Amino acid sequence: MLAKLAKKAFPKSLWVYHCNSGACNGCDIEILNVLTPYYDVERFGIKLVGSPRHADAMLLSGAVTRPTLPLVKRAFEAMPAPKLVFGIGSCAVGGGCWFDTYNVSGGGATALPMDYYIPGCPPRPEAILFGVALALGLVDQKAAPVELKQVEFPLDASLRTQAWQDRNAIYKWLKD
Amino acid sequence: MTQETLLQTLRAEFGAAVTGPDPAAPRRLLLDVERARLPEIARRLIALGARYQVGVGSDDRARGLGFGLIHLFAFDKSGFTTAIRTSAPAETPEFPSITPDIPVAGWTEREYRDLLGFRFPGHPKPKKLILADDWPDGIYPLRKEVPYNLVPPAAEDVAYQLDEAPPGTTMVPVGPFHSSLHEPAHFAVYVDGETIKGCDYRGFMTHRGIEKLCQTQVSYNEIPFVAERICGICGSVHATAYAQSVEEAAGLAVPRRAEFIRVLMLELERIHSHLLWLGVAGHLIGFDTVFMHAWRVREPVMWLSERITGNRKTYGMVVLGGVRRDISPETAEDIRSVLKKVEAEVLGLKAAILKDSLIHKRTKGVGHMPKAEAERWSLVGPVARARSIDIDARRDHPYAAYNELSFDVPTADSCDVWGTVLVRLLEVFESVKIMRQVLDKMPAGPILAAPQEALPAFRHGLSMVEAPRGESVHYVITGEENRPERWRVRAPTYTNLQGVPRMLLDNQFADFPIIVGSIDPCYSCTDRAVVVERGTGRERVWDRAELTTLSRAGGK
Repeated sequence: MLAKLAKKAFPKSLWVYHCNSGACNGCDIEILNVLTPYYDVERFGIKLVGSPRHADAMLLSGAVTRPTLPLVKRAFEAMPAPKLVFGIGSCAVGGGCWFDTYNVSGGGATALPMDYYIPGCPPRPEAILFGVALALGLVDQKAAPVELKQVEFPLDASLRTQAWQDRNAIYKWLKD
Repeated sequence: MTQETLLQTLRAEFGAAVTGPDPAAPRRLLLDVERARLPEIARRLIALGARYQVGVGSDDRARGLGFGLIHLFAFDKSGFTTAIRTSAPAETPEFPSITPDIPVAGWTEREYRDLLGFRFPGHPKPKKLILADDWPDGIYPLRKEVPYNLVPPAAEDVAYQLDEAPPGTTMVPVGPFHSSLHEPAHFAVYVDGETIKGCDYRGFMTHRGIEKLCQTQVSYNEIPFVAERICGICGSVHATAYAQSVEEAAGLAVPRRAEFIRVLMLELERIHSHLLWLGVAGHLIGFDTVFMHAWRVREPVMWLSERITGNRKTYGMVVLGGVRRDISPETAEDIRSVLKKVEAEVLGLKAAILKDSLIHKRTKGVGHMPKAEAERWSLVGPVARARSIDIDARRDHPYAAYNELSFDVPTADSCDVWGTVLVRLLEVFESVKIMRQVLDKMPAGPILAAPQEALPAFRHGLSMVEAPRGESVHYVITGEENRPERWRVRAPTYTNLQGVPRMLLDNQFADFPIIVGSIDPCYSCTDRAVVVERGTGRERVWDRAELTTLSRAGGK
């Protein structure tokens, strides 16, 4: 649904604004890396811009720290609607390994309405490209829905493990 | 000078005010000094040729020792370091400020004012540095009784407490989000016309409380992985520095092969970091061809890292007592072939840059800072070496396997941004040289030392690792419960950034991005703050409205 909307709202080129809300540079460099010759994101019409006022989408990297929380909100407000927000990297997804320390407010969702998450520490440039292309409807989703089947009653499995361990212990005693 | 002669000198001059050395710090000189005479002793150490590194504050009240503050000094020519420790009672955590004599200590003292509630009478700028401006007074996150996840309620719209603009100047805000800064940080640049007359910095916006987190939540062997995430570029540097400082404190022996593999990762990181910086520098002066070329050359290095370690950035290689993955003969061949390719490409890049008049015009004479000033501000890394200060932790304080490897330390004497470009370019070739030697000389053997039952508590360890940006200092005081009592990280940007206002002085505002960029700032490493050059004494030529009109007309 969101993909369809995005396709309609951004039919041609997407200008993205990179917002570092407290990242370690890892994700930021991978974001810059998608601009460089090997990945060349500009062939999809995607361009990195310096101001949120020019942007269609925001690439948020890093856990949102206490001082940047109001700033990230203001950068988001400065973007013209319709707008998309991508959370790049584990920290923007859920706050990373410091999600609850005294100076960190949490993942990107504590500050902004997130649309897409691209996980990884840091995500590979291919993953960033794929995530953005997926949002624009340029590629199809690769993940297939997983069907869950009831396999075995877990209690049964644990009893059998227990029995096996008991038997094993007996052999061990016999040996000694 | 040796450690013994230094000790004798200090004892002769200060008598009973200097006691020690404390055996808790094996292989280092850890002296206890009288609190009141701290500035005097620090001044004397600087006069003897020491370079101020950083201060380590600690909360030792649980052991009945009040608050402690350790100042670290390095004697680069003689190859040893000295730590002077003072303590203050729990009720009055007051230490005399050494900032008036050693300006680069300014941030350390402001940091502990925020995090531990120390007071430094005589500090020239007692303002907040680390914590947000809306953080309430009286809550000091690094004190033991404060939980790591205590978040006081936030207040909206709290203005930064910046210095007043010097008379006759206008303030131009840069940041927190700015296209020339890749991380959040706020610079208030005071300009007179187009000329920069001063600068105030409010940063530390990516402060994530890593030191507190690691002192309270995780264990020794998990910290290397958190340390790696301090900075996305020099991850191995922080992980290695942390591991080495704990190994030194606990007396753990590391297998020789593991030390060679650590060097390999550090040098690989230096190559990719310098190429990255070269690209960013090109971008900052509006020369995107350099950016595209440098990053194209860099990409095979990233692929190589992925083949060696399984990830492009956060390698997860270093653990206490060694490394996690070995280098197989096939990988070694792979490394050699990538090095050959990268070396040839960087040679081409170097020839193009050396002959490019545009780069010369944008960097020569820009960000000029004479050698004496650079020494006063304790600059480190390529920024110092571009100002003919010949320091390099790899050579002066050898760690890991560097004592067996031969390499040159390139320096330049132009004292400007051009010098840093040159030094970094030449260092790439030195790194290639070192990596080849590592592959040739690497001995066979295990890569991980046998695990120990428990590490001894309350021992001190210091490690200096030459990161691509300069010297990273890690100081560890081991603790109980399988985690450090205190872990202090000082990234190179922490000292270099303090010298930036001096570099900016009297430069054109258009050169601001490249001057700040020339130190290769890494705020996430640093996340720590500032100094202002004030008072121009010049008469005001234009008023604000005229300036606004002029700048707008110029912008069109």
